[in-house]
Amino acid sequence: MLNNLAHTKDPFAKRDDMSGPYAVYYVLYESVSRKLVEDDPASSDWEASKGMINKGEIATMVLGSWAVEQCREAGATPEDVGYMPFPITEDGKRYASGDGNYSYAINNKATEDNQIAAMVYLKWLLEESTIFVDEGTIPALKSEPLPDSLSEFDGVEIISNNPAIEGEETLFDDVNNESEVGINNNDYPDCEILESALYGTKDLDTLMEEWNAKWSAAQESLGVDVLKY
Amino acid sequence: MDRGGSAVVRKKTFAEKMKSREAQQFLVIVTFLFAPLLLLIVFTYLPFMRMVQFSFYNMKYIGPKKFVGLANYVDVFHRTEIFRALLVSVYYMGGAVVQLALALFFATLMVFKVKGESVFKATLFFPYLICGIAVGFIFKFFYARGFVLDSLLQMFGMKLDNIPYWLQDQSINNIALAATSVWRYTGQNMIMFLGAMMSVDTDLYEAAALDGANNWHRFRYIILPSIKSIIVLNLILSISGSLSAFEPPYVITNGTMGTGTYFVIMNRLAHENQKVGLACAMAIVLLAIIILCTVAQKLFFAYVFDNGTDDESKAAVRKRKKAEQKRRAQKGAAV
Repeated sequence: MLNNLAHTKDPFAKRDDMSGPYAVYYVLYESVSRKLVEDDPASSDWEASKGMINKGEIATMVLGSWAVEQCREAGATPEDVGYMPFPITEDGKRYASGDGNYSYAINNKATEDNQIAAMVYLKWLLEESTIFVDEGTIPALKSEPLPDSLSEFDGVEIISNNPAIEGEETLFDDVNNESEVGINNNDYPDCEILESALYGTKDLDTLMEEWNAKWSAAQESLGVDVLKY
Repeated sequence: MDRGGSAVVRKKTFAEKMKSREAQQFLVIVTFLFAPLLLLIVFTYLPFMRMVQFSFYNMKYIGPKKFVGLANYVDVFHRTEIFRALLVSVYYMGGAVVQLALALFFATLMVFKVKGESVFKATLFFPYLICGIAVGFIFKFFYARGFVLDSLLQMFGMKLDNIPYWLQDQSINNIALAATSVWRYTGQNMIMFLGAMMSVDTDLYEAAALDGANNWHRFRYIILPSIKSIIVLNLILSISGSLSAFEPPYVITNGTMGTGTYFVIMNRLAHENQKVGLACAMAIVLLAIIILCTVAQKLFFAYVFDNGTDDESKAAVRKRKKAEQKRRAQKGAAV
């Protein structure tokens, strides 16, 4: 996805079938402008919010699967906390993005005994331990079923980012940084959208046009081939 | 033949010169200065030179760099958000003035014997000792909706609906953040002023009391003139401090909601957008602005507060000098 985004012309523009980045940011913008979020986002407190969703004071939060267990353990009613895919469909099919978390590695300079011990440990960890059930994440083995906390994801296609194309490893980051849009870089673009909605200063279309202009300027200055979506 | 008492002095050799008193003193001075100078050059001047160099390039932290000359500086002046950030600093400057007034007030109260003055001094100075990031977190929860400040105000009878959103409302969130700075630095300023005020001769107070001076007269005519130089120094430091305010906005709101100061934007450009050259150019521009402000302040104070001798103002000194010159010229012409 990130490879394509660097080559796309006007990636943030509104599309007729309401797909793509615009749709995702639309959800954010509308939730804020319709006053469906807390009235003071500046005072949000992560630790407290875990307890609040457990008690039912918060209805929905947009988070990764790592948070499900934490929210369940944060209060007295773990069965009230569930996890569903982001409510966007493409041709009637739902997708979710799955990516690797931290990776496991074995030191190739260690002694052979230690290396064997490490491999045995990893084998146990990935095949026999309950780590994936405890953490509520997708198991490493393809043959394993999804844990219960991800039961809503049956029938959802889980896709992950392709590895970077040869010679273009930093292209997405370059365009992202040069344009200063900064997707996935800290929370800055999300905050921009939040502020526009909160103060009513800009509507989403104007903001997305500005981002498109910045993105195109960066593509031009970096000499990227631009393909229409 | 003896020529009336003058002896011929043999030229000293290098070794003897080295052993002489002046040379020894010189060597001691150089040796003691060597370590701090080395640290200063390595950790301040060299990086500064490199930063000036970086500002002419388009570069990230690692990887190749491209020379772009003054393009970064042009960019700095064209971006509107940078000057909006400087405007935010004006709030901190206002806070600095309030801070100065408060510090002077508390210092004057404590120059004379006050019961429990060490307790007061300690509690007022304590905030300065806390790290800036910790202060940021303290105030993040202080200002959060429904937390400390709101509960306090509700205890005094204000209703929650009437209490403004301290961090969100753009008309007051900068004031709220500048207030954290004031809280932090008032104690330190106060201690500095106290130190300067202690040097005032107590006989002056007695003489003034005999002449019928009340507390305000005492402050205005005895204390203020004596600590004038410290106040000027403080004002200069506070201008440069408010232009470079970073911790309160970064920790409490991350520069969102219109609270982003100059440094916050510079940090974003350098570390998240990897535009190191542009950030360096911003730093140099800020340095130039601070230098300009400092020079302007010094001129302003020198002109307005008339730093002549103790007995006469500068204008009177100038007049007297001109009259003397005229007299001398007349005498010379007459001769």
